[in-house]
Amino acid sequence: MKSSILRAGVVALACALGLSACGGGSGDLYLTGAVYNVTKDGLVLTNNGEDLAVTTPYTSFQFNNRISTDDQFNITVKSVPSNVEKISDCIVTNGKARANYYTIAQIRVDCAIRQRKLTASIVNLTTSGLVIINGADRKEVAAGTATVAMAPVNEDGAYGVTVLQQPAGQTCTVSGGGNGKGAGTMGATEDTTVTVTCA
Amino acid sequence: MKFSLARPAVALAILATLAACGGGGKATFPINITVSGLQYPGLVLSTNGQDLPINPPATAGQDVTAVFPNQIEYGQVYEVIPKGAVVTNHTPVGGTQPKHQQCAASPYLPYGTAGQLARIDIRFVCAINAYPLGGKVKGLTGTGLVLANGSTTGTIGVSPALDANQKPTGADVPLIMNSVPYNTTYGVTVLTQPTSPAQTCTVTGGANGFGGGTMDDAAEAAGGVDNLVVTCVNN
Repeated sequence: MKSSILRAGVVALACALGLSACGGGSGDLYLTGAVYNVTKDGLVLTNNGEDLAVTTPYTSFQFNNRISTDDQFNITVKSVPSNVEKISDCIVTNGKARANYYTIAQIRVDCAIRQRKLTASIVNLTTSGLVIINGADRKEVAAGTATVAMAPVNEDGAYGVTVLQQPAGQTCTVSGGGNGKGAGTMGATEDTTVTVTCA
Repeated sequence: MKFSLARPAVALAILATLAACGGGGKATFPINITVSGLQYPGLVLSTNGQDLPINPPATAGQDVTAVFPNQIEYGQVYEVIPKGAVVTNHTPVGGTQPKHQQCAASPYLPYGTAGQLARIDIRFVCAINAYPLGGKVKGLTGTGLVLANGSTTGTIGVSPALDANQKPTGADVPLIMNSVPYNTTYGVTVLTQPTSPAQTCTVTGGANGFGGGTMDDAAEAAGGVDNLVVTCVNN
């Protein structure tokens, strides 16, 4: 009795595996996933020879070829956007498995955007109390300081240095940067033109 | 006399042994709590008529662990909430939260019946409150105006108000920047000036009068910052 049940089970399983293996081309599962930290074109994913460019708004992907249950998928990164330094800075999580409703809902791609230094030059600061900010990044600047290293900024990301608090007895204004007033978009090179001039 | 003293002692020992074997009554369960991300005091958790104040960790960034003073018995229902929260369908609203933060149960359910799980282990995660940052844009007739709060939370594009014929009117346009967490600074700047017609926009308002400030206690009490003014004039 026991053995006959076992035998039937094994045969059924083998049949099922055989069928799915023969299933081939278009199954019924879409291979999809979430995308994080991508801001521009250039990310190309590949799965078993099928390439897929991730397009705006860069928050998800869906391969065109549908796959069948138990098909092996293996998603890798083929190329990255220009503001990501190297292929290995975009990481695919749960990108390799056999397809089923669980495994195809667990895939994500996270990219790390290249960071560029943002440096502000300080001119003629003779008193204390100056505080400059780039959004949430806050730096207190002591008298006599020549340069301030702000927190690094994403390449292609915005920056805007402003005076949060003026020093005692002096008034400082911000110039330089992309727009001449301390703000701009971080390019592919470090921006060192932001200048805080005190009088 | 000697014997009469010894007898109750023996009885006690037997009772203790029974209890240890599980024969001496119902099993009891401690309600274990772990809180992550807590930075400010004031959180009080509550369940089964017990209150448990949770203080921030001695070392910033570490989790806080605590246990409710009394264990509950097998089969007793528990639901841990911020004290005084109004609960609808197991979703608590309000209650005694820490200053400047909101804590919510994650990832495990904060309710159940003692004995369902071998161990009652409830986790809360706290996030810093963020408050709105905004105001209005005056005189905008050009297109392409982009504002930024430094490098923080992206850029905000603003379009001019249009009349029925799709012509810009120059009327005030609401300005809604991304929210700013408590105790962080903001500094709104013009990243891209509008064109056609070419205009120059300047930012005023905020705590320092020039579009900058800190989301401090005063700003929190006011429910955020709503006095930014971006004034645009034709070149």
